[in-house]
Amino acid sequence: MIKRRLIQLAVVVLVILLGVIMFIVGKEHTILLDNKSVEIDGTTYNAFQIVEVQVAKGETLELGPRDRDKAVVMGQRHKLTVTYTDRNFEEHVIVKKFSVPIGESMVLISLPVFAAGLDQSLWLEHYEPPTILSLSPVEEELVVTEELIPLDI
Amino acid sequence: MSELRETRWEKTLNVLEKNAVPILFLIIGAIGIIFSGYSMNYLGQEIIVRIARNSFLIISLLIPIMAGMGLNFGMTLGAMAGQIGLIFVTDWAIAGIPGMVLAMIISTPISALLGWMCGKILNMAKGREMVTSYIIGFFINGVYQLIVLYGMGPVIPIKDPALVLPRGYGIRNTVNLIRMRRSLDNLLAIRIFGISIPVMTLAVIALLCLFIVWFKKSKLGQDMRAVGQDMEVARAAGIRVEHTRIVSIVISTILAGYGMIIYLQNMGTLNTYNSHMQIGMFSIAALLVGGASVNRASIGNVFLGVALFHLMFIVSPMAGKNLIGQAQLGEFFRVFVSYGVITLALVLYEIRKRHTRSRAGRLLAQEQLDARRLADD
Amino acid sequence: MVSIRRFLNSFGWPRIIIGLFLLSLFIIAPFVGVRIGASLSDTIIRFGMNSVLVLAMVPMIHSGTGLNFGLPLGIMAGLLGGTLSIELGFTGGLSFFMALVCATPFGLLFGWGYGKLLNKVKGGEMIIATYVGFSSVAFMCMMWLLLPYRHPTMVWGYAGKGLRTTISTEGFYLHALNNFLQFRIGERFVFPTGMILFFALIAFLVWAFLHTKTGTAMTAVGSNPVFARASGISIDRIRTLSVVMSTWLAAVGIIVYQQSFGFIQLYMGPFYMALPAVSAILIGGASVNKASIMNVIVGTFLFQGILTMTPSVMNAVIHTDMSEVIRIVVSNGMILYALTRKSEVSR
Repeated sequence: MIKRRLIQLAVVVLVILLGVIMFIVGKEHTILLDNKSVEIDGTTYNAFQIVEVQVAKGETLELGPRDRDKAVVMGQRHKLTVTYTDRNFEEHVIVKKFSVPIGESMVLISLPVFAAGLDQSLWLEHYEPPTILSLSPVEEELVVTEELIPLDI
Repeated sequence: MSELRETRWEKTLNVLEKNAVPILFLIIGAIGIIFSGYSMNYLGQEIIVRIARNSFLIISLLIPIMAGMGLNFGMTLGAMAGQIGLIFVTDWAIAGIPGMVLAMIISTPISALLGWMCGKILNMAKGREMVTSYIIGFFINGVYQLIVLYGMGPVIPIKDPALVLPRGYGIRNTVNLIRMRRSLDNLLAIRIFGISIPVMTLAVIALLCLFIVWFKKSKLGQDMRAVGQDMEVARAAGIRVEHTRIVSIVISTILAGYGMIIYLQNMGTLNTYNSHMQIGMFSIAALLVGGASVNRASIGNVFLGVALFHLMFIVSPMAGKNLIGQAQLGEFFRVFVSYGVITLALVLYEIRKRHTRSRAGRLLAQEQLDARRLADD
Repeated sequence: MVSIRRFLNSFGWPRIIIGLFLLSLFIIAPFVGVRIGASLSDTIIRFGMNSVLVLAMVPMIHSGTGLNFGLPLGIMAGLLGGTLSIELGFTGGLSFFMALVCATPFGLLFGWGYGKLLNKVKGGEMIIATYVGFSSVAFMCMMWLLLPYRHPTMVWGYAGKGLRTTISTEGFYLHALNNFLQFRIGERFVFPTGMILFFALIAFLVWAFLHTKTGTAMTAVGSNPVFARASGISIDRIRTLSVVMSTWLAAVGIIVYQQSFGFIQLYMGPFYMALPAVSAILIGGASVNKASIMNVIVGTFLFQGILTMTPSVMNAVIHTDMSEVIRIVVSNGMILYALTRKSEVSR
């Protein structure tokens, strides 16, 4: 009797654990990539003239100064590859693995700060999309609760 | 047990009657294919997709039939639980297979609770299980609307504004499942003769079939079959009849929840307030088309049923257009046929119940007569 | 104390709850700006509209054939009658009468077939009734497209073939009954005398029938089939008769409904029309095998009262229209309650 209860409890715990793992592994995060000059503690990190970024296995994005692009990824740990050419026409490639904090749906990465090799807490920050105040009248969506002739099953 | 002597005509009539519905659908399907003008390739692809999409849901109906509960019109409860799981997963932006699995995990306790309630109510309405489960489906749909149309937003926090109605609370009519669309199907898809086959989905369905086969042989499965045969005899044999009946509904509801998630990942869109109500009825119709009856259904019935029913479903509009000039007629036709086949199956079941009793009586009389004849010689 | 408890038990908690709910709605109404006069008038009009449909439940419950979930079959007969009456060119009050006349043969025919079917499936009547109802609606969907109707107000404009989804009864039998002898109190209260009188007439006919020899036989078949058979009553014939009556009453009922509502709804409109009628009579105190005219009156009034009052009062109080959800929960909950009670008749 007790043995059965213990096994049932163990199964429940395992399933909850599986759920948590699925949550972490499957959650999509939107990574915004900023190529803007940023000032931290007096030091200015300049934007690049042109920089190529690749997040995980996504397409390579090209950004000019003051550009912002985005990449959507699934899961927390990803490889970030930044390629830029400095004033001496030398090509630098920086590859670093980073981890998106689990609660964040949208984060912002500042590429100049990242390329300078600083700590992750300085180049990755939470991003809150601005809520758009809609001035146009809200269109009513009629909720259809009885569709008797299905188009497709 | 001696066999009832009957004429060859009576025997053929019996076989025809047993398989009346699949044969009828074969004929309808054949006529429909001819008139619709669809190519075999197109039809083949469509049928494969539907088998992969719908079979899990229909298999969930097998267990209550085993336990003598009849057609589980309450499978809509499981479908609703699955949909609630999907709403949460979409809100949390969980993609692909992990999203599906998480939705299934979330749906399980909800399905279990709803199934338990349904089972308890059905035990209070013995002899009227099918009507009662049918009404329970509607009743819980009201509760579902209360939660999803009014509760989600104010009471249950929803982050993603794309999910919420313009008025500020309640989920929209359609939820885009783009993040997990076809995630199971495309996990391993093979092309044979120009038809894309979702191998992984079919593998999952095969696993379920193996589970059902094992389940039928297990102690719980045997108990259910005993309860399905005769409740009082099972009770006398020491089986907890009420408990077993409830368990059968719970398992069926949980499976229906998973089946709904598999169905929706293929569809790619969730029709928040209609998907579950429609799918219940059409799944039952499909099972019956495959030759199942109210008290006997096998895995073979499931697959035959999906193929024949969906064949009819696909060809009807085009056939209607080519025959009469109105595709609308074809759409009405397939809805009529769906309801009609359920009506037919229900009627045949009741009549056959009577017939079996009369055949048993005739068999008994025949044995008596034979015994007396032997004694006289 | 004991007798009060027994009364409560037999009356049923759901009905008490529903009655109190409606009462509270009427009490709250004036405080939130909802006009009692208009609401009461609306309730009475909706009562009249639905009354005959609910009355159609009575014969089948009496004969033990169960709740008539197959009401849509009779409704189809009524739709055929109404559309035929318009097609044949009758207008005004006469079209109402002709609608009844045209609907009657269909109602009797459908009811006869339906009754014969139900006799073959004793024990599983209700679920089969449900699906017979659905199948008939779906079948008629095809028919509405194909039947050779020609009247310009009924068919689709340019094609000229196939009936429209909704057909207005204006110019035909719109308010044929309502306006008959109607009177007003104040500026918002309208009493549809004609419709109520019509219902009273039909209800009286049903009541009178149930007290004839055949009628008492019907009651016997439903409440004590063994006794009925011993008395030489043909159970099957009585059951078929009850189904024919129910189906015909449904046909009449939908025409009464349409003359008040203003529209004939074809195609999938009548699909779920059995459920409100079933729950109304159950709310009124009926069970799966016992029903009286009083059940019809009380039940229809309570049910339609809730349907009328809930949207307006709720909207005024919490600014949300939850009436649809409440309707679903109340009506289906009531049916569930009735289905799970022990039947007084053993088969």
